Amino acid sequence: MPCEPFQDALIEAAASGEEPRGELRAHLKDCAACQAVFDREQSLFAGVDSGMRVVANAEVPPSLLPRVRARLDEVTAPRYQAWLPKWYVLAGASAMLAFFFVLQSFRQPGMEQKPVETSANTTQASPQTNSPQKEKPSTVAAPNSAFVVPRTHAYAERVHVSRSVSNAEPHPEVLVPRDQEVLLALYAKEWRGQKPAPMVVTDSNDSGLKPLEVPPIQIAELDVKLLAESDAQ
Amino acid sequence: MQELVLIQPGGRAQEESARETALAEARREFESRLAECGPLAYRVARGVLRNSADAEDVAQEALLRAYRSFDRLRDRSRFRGWLVRISYRIALDRLRSSKRREQRDTEWGQPEHQPPSPTAEDLAASSEFQVRLERALEELPEKLRFVLLLAAVEGHTIEQISEMAGVSVGTVKSRIFYARRQLAEKLRCHVNLSRTR
Repeated sequence: MPCEPFQDALIEAAASGEEPRGELRAHLKDCAACQAVFDREQSLFAGVDSGMRVVANAEVPPSLLPRVRARLDEVTAPRYQAWLPKWYVLAGASAMLAFFFVLQSFRQPGMEQKPVETSANTTQASPQTNSPQKEKPSTVAAPNSAFVVPRTHAYAERVHVSRSVSNAEPHPEVLVPRDQEVLLALYAKEWRGQKPAPMVVTDSNDSGLKPLEVPPIQIAELDVKLLAESDAQ
Repeated sequence: MQELVLIQPGGRAQEESARETALAEARREFESRLAECGPLAYRVARGVLRNSADAEDVAQEALLRAYRSFDRLRDRSRFRGWLVRISYRIALDRLRSSKRREQRDTEWGQPEHQPPSPTAEDLAASSEFQVRLERALEELPEKLRFVLLLAAVEGHTIEQISEMAGVSVGTVKSRIFYARRQLAEKLRCHVNLSRTR
């Protein structure tokens, strides 16, 4: 009987560790050469298994567990201590962020703008003589809507804040024609007062609040003189 | 709208003391498993690295990592398998990095690859067959090597290996079968040669 068909079955039987069955068993009984190969394969696999046990079951160094325990002691203590500062840092960062957002909600464009403000050195007389870099198109009164400046409620609060800040500064000098001084005085009174001035701070989107209708200021032609010239006079 | 939270006086102290108690409890529980599973972590690492000193480092690292994540392990009965996998992964990483280092050293013109100096224990275990077996083991695919190691370590049953490796019993059986056969194929020449001597 030829041995070749049994070669693979022989190795598989040895690998599985089971006793050969059926035809293979019968063949091994008759074929001494195959029986020798099978014995060799079995011893090879036994060698692999025993070698693996040597590899896998090495003596554990006695220093292992004490070393691990010492490291655990090290890890446990700083772990708790390090946890707290992290929380403090996180809480601090959160507080800073919250503060920043609150601040941002007040610091909208045009915050530092005052409805009527001129530089002390400015000789141009106009109720809307804001410095150019602070001026926004929305704050410039249209001819028909003189002091009606559409703003949000947030702006109303901001005006309040900026007003209190600007109290420390000297009051700006506003030069207007003589016939408009009364109106300006009224406006200035409203501006200095602590109550919100609806004619300045109103929400155009809010249907409940209607902007105060103020007749447009008639600005007469100004006689602008150079400072040096006026000083000389 | 601002939301206010009432803080009870002494709540923080209670929280801290509860946390400390939980930590101490976790430490106690971990220590009770350490004596049982520490050697297993070492043996798995040793099976991969074939070096006692490296294996000890890896086992230590694996145990520390396990401790740090111990509170995240919900099913504590799976600790053994979990630790084995951690140890095996760290050992493989170290093996790979040491191979890269060796390769780099060779490329930088060192005369020959010098294996790490063996310890007395390594020398005692290193017959020629053993050395060849360990080399052959290193060449096995990772999945096969892992189950074969687990099968050899502390005489785990197929079911235990299945649980530790997280694969089915059938998969474990077939992997062990193929792993042994591949090792035998690599060692067959050596056995035949030694018989003809």
